[in-house]
Amino acid sequence: MFTVTVTSTTTGASRAWVVQTAPIEGEAETVAEDKGPSPIAPEVKELAWGAGAFIVLFLLMRVVLFPRLKKGMDARYGKIRGDHEGADATRAAARAEVAEYEAEIAAVKAQAAQRIEAARNVLEDERTAALAELKARVGTQRAAATAANEAARAAAEQHVSTAVADVSSRAAELATGKRPKAADVTNIVASLMGGSQ
Amino acid sequence: MEAIVRLIAATAPVQTPDEIKAANAAIGAGFAYGLAAIGPGIGIGFVVGKAIEAMARQPEAAGMVRTTMFLGIAFTEALALIGFVVFILLGL
Amino acid sequence: MLALKFPPINELIRWRDIFSNFNKVGVIAVAAALIGIMVFLVAGSRDPLVAPTGVRNLAETGVNFIENDIVMQTMGKDGLRWTPFLLSLFVFIYLCNLPGILPVLQMPATARMAIPLFLALTVWVVYNAVGLRHNGIKYLTLMAWPPGVPVGMRPLVGLIELLSNIVLRPFSLAVRLFANMLAGHMLLITFAFLTNALFFAETKQFALKPMSILPFFMLVFLTAFEVLVGFLQAYIFTILTAVFINAAQHPEH
Repeated sequence: MFTVTVTSTTTGASRAWVVQTAPIEGEAETVAEDKGPSPIAPEVKELAWGAGAFIVLFLLMRVVLFPRLKKGMDARYGKIRGDHEGADATRAAARAEVAEYEAEIAAVKAQAAQRIEAARNVLEDERTAALAELKARVGTQRAAATAANEAARAAAEQHVSTAVADVSSRAAELATGKRPKAADVTNIVASLMGGSQ
Repeated sequence: MEAIVRLIAATAPVQTPDEIKAANAAIGAGFAYGLAAIGPGIGIGFVVGKAIEAMARQPEAAGMVRTTMFLGIAFTEALALIGFVVFILLGL
Repeated sequence: MLALKFPPINELIRWRDIFSNFNKVGVIAVAAALIGIMVFLVAGSRDPLVAPTGVRNLAETGVNFIENDIVMQTMGKDGLRWTPFLLSLFVFIYLCNLPGILPVLQMPATARMAIPLFLALTVWVVYNAVGLRHNGIKYLTLMAWPPGVPVGMRPLVGLIELLSNIVLRPFSLAVRLFANMLAGHMLLITFAFLTNALFFAETKQFALKPMSILPFFMLVFLTAFEVLVGFLQAYIFTILTAVFINAAQHPEH
């Protein structure tokens, strides 16, 4: 069985706790003499120092320190905002330049397209004209050929019908002994040939 | 509590009325702080638990919830701290 | 029987006067104010137009924290003129809390009642003054009876609200900061004391010396925890101030 009793050396702010096997009477008495402040009740000197320190801090903060710091912060935020706006303006300008360049390109392209279109139109016209001319020539040639053909056929028909009329009137004459009228024969022949066609 | 005092007094070598009074005060102080800590303990548990629930449900409102949580803790904790002060006063 | 006699709390927070009426708490308070002033002074003298680094970055982070996380969350845009007050409150409380975990100093100035009490009374005066200026003499009735309270309930509600506004708010504001920091301080002392007692035990050293590593680990862990608590208490004090000022401006809410 042993007892560890700790008492404090009460010599000021450096507080060393010394472990002793038994309490020393004299020290216990000095502890009892200097009990120290009440842990709850505020002390006037501490109140005064604390109040003074806080009031000085608050007044300086209110009058000098905070406004200066805040002004600097606002200036920097303002500068950052200004830089942002400058960057936005530069970006907008660059965008405008790009747009202008693109518009120029578009104009040039449109002009080129117009020229190509004109050239194509000219070519188209020429082609149409040549085609029309060709068609006309072909048409006239075809008409001439058709006319010649018609004429040849008409002549051949005429020739055939004359020959048929001759032959038939001759045959009729041989069969009836009397010569039919030339106009009647021709009509009959024509109607027959027209019907056979 | 009287029984505890008697028990302690029985083991102590000396029993002057002052010492018994001091022992009473010490036990009273211990009970004062211990009992004063129960309610705020439960209360702070509720406050923080509900705040965490709210933050988990709505993480975008976490800042507001945290501020309110600290306010709630501060008000709840005051009771425990008054118990602590009583503990010191009784222990004097 | 293994027994450790824990020193009374009075002894743990006793500091000798360095000179007449100027003790460690005073040193910490003055140092906190000076450090705050120096940081913002140096930060303000840096070129504001380049990207902030070092001290300026620190100060601007603080300002942004107050503006975005405290003022905008509780008071909205028209509360931004309170930023200097809240900023100095936050800086002062945080720098007074910080010595609780710094070696050599090892004492949060806010673990004594004086500074929290003064700050809470300042906040009390400020929010009541703001309420009176904003709402005129009607502030008192608005404070006692928020709109929409039935007439039958008025005596009870009025009593509770008046008590809450006039007594409980500054009291709980001061006690919250003070008790949190004192509790943290005592926690650290307990484990430091235990480590010391085990390591320097005069009997059964073979068993007790290695055991001292356990409370030491706890001490390290709790020191890290106190970093968080110191920040959190400064934050809570500041945000409650913002809430009270806002409530005094618009009592209808």
